[in-house]
Amino acid sequence: MSLAAEAFVSQIAAAEPWPENATLYQPLKEDQILLSDSASSLAVQTFLRMCGLPVEVSCRANAEYMSPSGKVPFIHVGNQVVSELGPIVQFTKAKGHALSDGLDDVQRAEMKAYMELVNNMLLTAELYIQWCDDSTSAEISRPRYSSPYSWPLNHVLAYQKQWEVRRKMNAIGWSGKSLEQVYEDVSQCCQALSQRLGTQPFFFNKQPTELDALVFGHLFTILTTQLTNDELAEKVKSYTNLLSFCHRIEQTYFKEPEREGQSSRHSKGALP
Amino acid sequence: MGLLFWCSFMKTNMAEPALEVLCWGGDWGLPSVQTDSLIVLSYGKFADAKIAVKSVDWTWRTITASVPQLHFEGTTRINADFELTAKQGADTMAYIALLEEKLRPALLHSFWVDPENYANLTRPWFTSHSPFPLNFFVPGRQASLALSRILLTKAESPLLNITEVEGKIYSEAKECLNLLSHRLGNFPFFFGNSPTSLDAFVFGHIAPLLKAPLPSAQLQKHLNQLENLCQFCNSILKNYFIDSMAERRNDCSPTAPHDSVDANLQKLTQLVNKESNLIEKMDDNLRSSPQHRPHSHKNSALA
Repeated sequence: MSLAAEAFVSQIAAAEPWPENATLYQPLKEDQILLSDSASSLAVQTFLRMCGLPVEVSCRANAEYMSPSGKVPFIHVGNQVVSELGPIVQFTKAKGHALSDGLDDVQRAEMKAYMELVNNMLLTAELYIQWCDDSTSAEISRPRYSSPYSWPLNHVLAYQKQWEVRRKMNAIGWSGKSLEQVYEDVSQCCQALSQRLGTQPFFFNKQPTELDALVFGHLFTILTTQLTNDELAEKVKSYTNLLSFCHRIEQTYFKEPEREGQSSRHSKGALP
Repeated sequence: MGLLFWCSFMKTNMAEPALEVLCWGGDWGLPSVQTDSLIVLSYGKFADAKIAVKSVDWTWRTITASVPQLHFEGTTRINADFELTAKQGADTMAYIALLEEKLRPALLHSFWVDPENYANLTRPWFTSHSPFPLNFFVPGRQASLALSRILLTKAESPLLNITEVEGKIYSEAKECLNLLSHRLGNFPFFFGNSPTSLDAFVFGHIAPLLKAPLPSAQLQKHLNQLENLCQFCNSILKNYFIDSMAERRNDCSPTAPHDSVDANLQKLTQLVNKESNLIEKMDDNLRSSPQHRPHSHKNSALA
């Protein structure tokens, strides 16, 4: 969104309280959604739960095309449609719900830096593994991505998406990396997160912030999603404080009797 | 990020400079005009490594090699980060990610995509520093790489036009500069009193923005208002690079405290020159406009 449009939306957003019928749209959970989208979606859901805002999750095959920015997930609240965690955080702040108000400037700078680290390393690594690694792409990503569509559209869309992601990897210099190097990067990122978390319950004091939501979304999805091999999940599992962090957030915010919000055929269900 | 880990595993023989860095040359008071080269050079200085700098200007390496490049042999390690705690190491990674994601697109845009800057500063400089016939290809290739990187990472589907992305990337870059300024506070470096790899990264990104004489420079103006970041850059230049810069400049007196005054004067002169150019342009418009009759005696007074 352009800056003027963003300011306008914030103004409108501030006018109304959070409605009861807010909806979050994501691709189909059982068959279509991929690791990176699932992680982003879970991060947004966690953030909204931490704010105590009710939202209903609705799965649509064309969620990506409905989204204003082309990225999932997006939320439909009242008259507005907002996509991606960053703008959603700003939107909820305009409505008067914010998690990071208690932080001072230096801490806020740190929080933004760590969120960029997660986006830069974890999200990019997920995209790389999904689309630039030939075996994962052929066995998992392309079939899943194009599952709602019939031939020949499914082939066209899947290869188009793969081409787009590979172009992006090329532009940021990741296309020259091998899979081992990507796993190593993920490990470094998790090490940084683990050291920052230390023994605290959350990343900043005792209150959760959007950084906790983002980290939980990515780590939980990595731990519970089945890929061609388990190496990614193993890298995360080697950091015990991150594992207990995920357990804690899951217990606090996602305690549901049937656990239908978390498990699917694609995911392995419970945390190990 | 690859640069960072490459740096921490460099080995050299302490006796003579067995470490060779190939990078773009310097100008505008900087040892090198390119961000990545600056990062490597400043990291080497912080870690007290003996580095021989070889410039790729005017060689065919501008197109065959991806600069900067390190060539090394030997046994001893170089590391500027051994005094950092684990948490500070994690913070370093996070801030580097922030810089790459928020500041780098706007820097690329300022130098390579903005038409005025590209035509008046960047392309002439790189053209003049590349051998024939590479001077026809090299700047254009860098510019298109920069543009594609910005569009692919920042432009989402409705914002397919570069002008709409501009607003977003500049506001993110200004926010990033503000965050860095908050984090630096009143300290000389980001982690206490001695410089580390994070300082090298920040310096590499900010120094070209601070020093380059950009014609259209909203980001530069914003940076100039952040006193502590400017101070940070200038003190690194003064303390770590001033001897090599003095050789290059062929100036007799190592007037280190006068550098900032000179820089200010230079800036003011540029502003005044720009304004007088604008006045001349307006003048020409007035003269050539058919509505106004040419008043030659008035014009000669202005010019």
